[in-house]
Amino acid sequence: MNLLRWSVLAAGAASLTALAVRARWAAAFGGPETCAPARGSARRGIAYALGRGLLPWEKESARRHLASYLAGILYHAGIFCAFAVLAALAVGFSLPHLIVLLLRLGLATGLVSGVGLLGKRAALPLSRALSRLDDYAANLLVDLFLAFALAASLDVRAAVPFMALSVILLLYIPMGKIRHCLFFFRSRIHFGRLLGRRGVLPPGAASAS
Amino acid sequence: MAETPTRKRSWAERLGDLPPQDLKTAIQTLADIIDAPSADGLESCVRCGLCAESCHYFLDDRDLRSIPAYKLNLIIRVFRRQIAGSGRPRRLAPGLDAATIREWADALYGRCTLCGRCMINCTMGIQIPAIIRKGRAVLASLGLVPDGLDSTVATARETGNNMGITREDWVETAAWLEDDLRAETGDPRIRMPMDAAGADFLYAVNPREPKFYPLTLTAAAKLFHAAGRSWTLSSRAFDVTNYAYFTGDDALAALFAGRLREAMDELNVKTLVLSECGHGFASNRWEAAAWLAEQFGREVKSVLEVVAEDLREGRIRLDPDRNPKTVTLHDPCQLVRMGGVIEEQREILKRSVHRFVEMTPNRKDNYCCGGGGGQLSMTEFAPRRKSAGRIKADQIARTKAQVVASPCHNCLDQLAELNKHYKLGVDVKSVLELAAEALLPSTG
Repeated sequence: MNLLRWSVLAAGAASLTALAVRARWAAAFGGPETCAPARGSARRGIAYALGRGLLPWEKESARRHLASYLAGILYHAGIFCAFAVLAALAVGFSLPHLIVLLLRLGLATGLVSGVGLLGKRAALPLSRALSRLDDYAANLLVDLFLAFALAASLDVRAAVPFMALSVILLLYIPMGKIRHCLFFFRSRIHFGRLLGRRGVLPPGAASAS
Repeated sequence: MAETPTRKRSWAERLGDLPPQDLKTAIQTLADIIDAPSADGLESCVRCGLCAESCHYFLDDRDLRSIPAYKLNLIIRVFRRQIAGSGRPRRLAPGLDAATIREWADALYGRCTLCGRCMINCTMGIQIPAIIRKGRAVLASLGLVPDGLDSTVATARETGNNMGITREDWVETAAWLEDDLRAETGDPRIRMPMDAAGADFLYAVNPREPKFYPLTLTAAAKLFHAAGRSWTLSSRAFDVTNYAYFTGDDALAALFAGRLREAMDELNVKTLVLSECGHGFASNRWEAAAWLAEQFGREVKSVLEVVAEDLREGRIRLDPDRNPKTVTLHDPCQLVRMGGVIEEQREILKRSVHRFVEMTPNRKDNYCCGGGGGQLSMTEFAPRRKSAGRIKADQIARTKAQVVASPCHNCLDQLAELNKHYKLGVDVKSVLELAAEALLPSTG
């Protein structure tokens, strides 16, 4: 168990380091710098992009695909719950019962959502055609991560396979699409900055006055 | 014996016969022009496909190749195999083959108007149009710009404007328009000032205006005159458009934008005011500073901002009853979603027309008319352009408006074509035209 704990911590550190290297590499591309005078506020644009702009009533694509959108939210919430379970196991911290119950709920709904999204990707012809092996592998790996986290929260004997799987997942993160966990924020910030400066975001910022 | 001139090979011929060394340079070009927002975007796409219905091409044909994520992933595939992680093309990575280049050409030029609606709807906020533009730049570096767009850019490069209007013709046209204006208004003081040094602003126009739509040019002159504005045209540089914006060729884009900046300096004018042109606004207002590596920003405005300001400050008065028909507004993507000029045109129209109705959706969520991204120049994709324009045509029809206004000449051309193709039975007008029709004589 101790070896597994150290393996999880080492894999986590390796994953974070690899992500930092990738982010640094992407940032090194630089620019585009512009001195075109702003029409709006980059800061307000970024705040919108990372906040209100993610809500379904702000975005047509989320409204059109509300079920997928909600499944995505629950899936990601489940992933956070799984990491909470992993962190507790890795450092040997015993979680209060109520928290454990909430985590189980998050893990169960996250797992159902993840499996649903995987099924959708495989079943719909256009989604299937758009997908690559990485899309299935990442989803499957995370679904298993959630399933084992749930099992580990119910029965301590599942902790060993859960932690072993976590090592694989952590090492996979920077190599596959799951690295969007970092690049999501970077992309949203660029998006908010661009359209915030231009006065497009947040909506209403460009009111003629 | 006279030499037979070598015929320039067509776009399709060039695409069908790509030298292998070109493919290598294409990868290097891509590595050279990627910037941090693009690199982050290329690392972010999860192929969720939620962007699909944001694209008017996909809404029209339901084709996988029209999904923005599909188009983006054509570039991602090359980027990740060839560049990602190092920033330099990899020697051992699989090459960018001719089939991929042909697919790029069809998707990046033929299935995208760079309208940015996918970016607004992308879960990740990926700047898809900027990345597609970089893909187009790679194709441009290989000489693979579709013929129509290529010749538009070449005309602008060689003659100073995209319609090849000579300086003499331009000056003469402005002079006879000035005569017409004086005859029409009975006001001998109204002018189409040419090369007036020290004016408050330089007005740049779409070459279509002097060539085909002089009424929009005289409309602007009437409004400026009524407001008592000090303005000028330049005999040397007057073209607001920048078709290199659509080919991704930043060096040429800088050349075109730089001409207007130089004319400002020559005439000692501090502000550049841009006629009704979506991409002309996005390129001159937002992109030019980076293309030209300017140290200090220039004041660049849309004519809509100027007229809206004149209205607000009471320098001009409009009578909406002079435009009794119901009017709707098409938001040009590059001016609104990518440009931030969102409310001014509404402010002007609401005071210019008896009844104004919005399209749904509108503002940043509005659908592209289908004429953007250089599509109007690319005859190769004309059937697809008209077909995808159905989304806009349906949007217009739902408003039951009799007039469609738009502050963009590219959009006006496409809307006129959609009007005919889909038998919409509407009038298509620019915002300035409607404002000028509603203009009341100045009391000052």
